Amino acid sequence: MSAEDLSVPQDPADALAAVVALRRLADQLEDAAVEQAMRAGWSWPDVAEALGVTRQAVHKKHVKRLIAAGVTLRRRQ
Amino acid sequence: MSAIDHYINDIIVRGGAEALEDGSAATEAHHLLLALATFEDTAAHRVLTAAGLGRQAIREALDREFEHSLNAVGVSLSSYRLPRPSRDPERTAAMGASARLAIERGFATSTGKKDLRPAHLLLGVLDTEIGTVPRALALAGVDRAELMAHVRGTLPHETW
Repeated sequence: MSAEDLSVPQDPADALAAVVALRRLADQLEDAAVEQAMRAGWSWPDVAEALGVTRQAVHKKHVKRLIAAGVTLRRRQ
Repeated sequence: MSAIDHYINDIIVRGGAEALEDGSAATEAHHLLLALATFEDTAAHRVLTAAGLGRQAIREALDREFEHSLNAVGVSLSSYRLPRPSRDPERTAAMGASARLAIERGFATSTGKKDLRPAHLLLGVLDTEIGTVPRALALAGVDRAELMAHVRGTLPHETW
């Protein structure tokens, strides 16, 4: 889908609210996707590369909740 | 600490729990609204309940607003089957900008700290035409101005 195809709502309030909602959806999707990947045996560097962030960033953001959930994590490389 | 200090602390803690529950990174004004609807025996709670805005009704209104806002850019929430991610039990949510604004506005509606009551905090959350709270209320068919008038109406005679 090109930028031209994406219809921006006419009302600025709707467009701005969509930004907020998309950010929240992206956060939820990231939490679910990172957990899915780590449960499938992905490494921190691979998950970081897939997300386009540093491995330190992805590790810091997600490690505690995954350990608390009992997910078996590969050693940080 | 005074009763209002304890109450504000309870609202912030409860709002933070609401934020973590719905996967939000920070506590926002709508999480404070959910918290205000949780603690009973306040004028704020009575006004919300009388308007049909119990905690569950507010949660449903917020979910509708989320879905509505995504639909506006062609994203359908029903096409996502997200597994519920694990949460860090020790994590706490930071205070977001809209929650800070709501509390500041609530303080501004009182004549001073000694006058500050839960109803003032509810006014602070409701007193904006911008953002998730007014959008969710509008989608739920709630007249925000009328709701605020009811809250203000409690102030002269309700002590808490």
